[in-house]
Amino acid sequence: MLFFVVLALLNGVLIGTSRTVNGRLSTRKGAFRASVWNHVVGFVFLSVVLLVLRAWPDVTDAPVAAYAGGVFGALFVAVNSYVFPRLGAMSASVLVISGQVLSAVIIDCVQHRALPAPIRLAGVVLVLLGLGLPRLSARLRQREIHPCPTEKK
Amino acid sequence: MSGRAVDWALAIAGGVLLTLMTQANAVLAGHTGPLYASWAAHGLGAVVASVLVLALARRAPATASGEGEGRAPLWYYLGGIPGALVVVLSAIAVNSELALAGTIALMLTGQILFGTLSDHLGLLHTPRRRITPMDLAVAGCVLAGSVLIVVGGA
Repeated sequence: MLFFVVLALLNGVLIGTSRTVNGRLSTRKGAFRASVWNHVVGFVFLSVVLLVLRAWPDVTDAPVAAYAGGVFGALFVAVNSYVFPRLGAMSASVLVISGQVLSAVIIDCVQHRALPAPIRLAGVVLVLLGLGLPRLSARLRQREIHPCPTEKK
Repeated sequence: MSGRAVDWALAIAGGVLLTLMTQANAVLAGHTGPLYASWAAHGLGAVVASVLVLALARRAPATASGEGEGRAPLWYYLGGIPGALVVVLSAIAVNSELALAGTIALMLTGQILFGTLSDHLGLLHTPRRRITPMDLAVAGCVLAGSVLIVVGGA
């Protein structure tokens, strides 16, 4: 069990590594070129893995629309490579994850035509609270310096 | 909007793109397999990104906000390998006791921990940044909320 926990954590590290390296490349070559390199190198790597494992599946019944993932991926890597060096690895990761989980909840809601479970709603509130924290604390601090007239004793 | 706000919005929009990508890839993986789905997405992504480079190259010069001059080290070009490796390794973790929710929750945790360490230590040429208590509070809330969303089911 511990092995799989470490493996899953390592996966997160690999994702971070990939995005950081792509972000580095984008500072030299631009975000869209970084996206090209990411996809070409990943494609070659996975081609080798497919060949070695001989894991070629039957692809005849896959809907064409399912291939749209490649389009979204190309755009995602470009956008992510652009913001990563600008925001820093931690902030960029936190913001991308926020967009990811919030949009996933919305898409699930639309697809199932139902409100999310209470635990999920609590999660949404926590994520939104996290995103709003810097602004919230700035406003509170401002109020301490310039108290509202109504709050004067 | 200030430059910082634009970067924030772009990063969140990036997360939305990532969800759309995951959804489409999951459908493809369901019909074929996770390896093939990722392979096809990388191939198609390479084509789409190349078209975008060609389309945009006419308008803007090749180099963007040129932070460093000169040639990029070889490893700058290899970001696709850890990205592709995730596909292989996450398939193993998802099939364990962790299941999908546990795997995703741990992957998010790993990402945020690694990002924090990168900023703090300047790993992989990341510009060093001081991590403030506020940064940690934001990351903690987002991570805790994300784990609740992932574990909470649809």
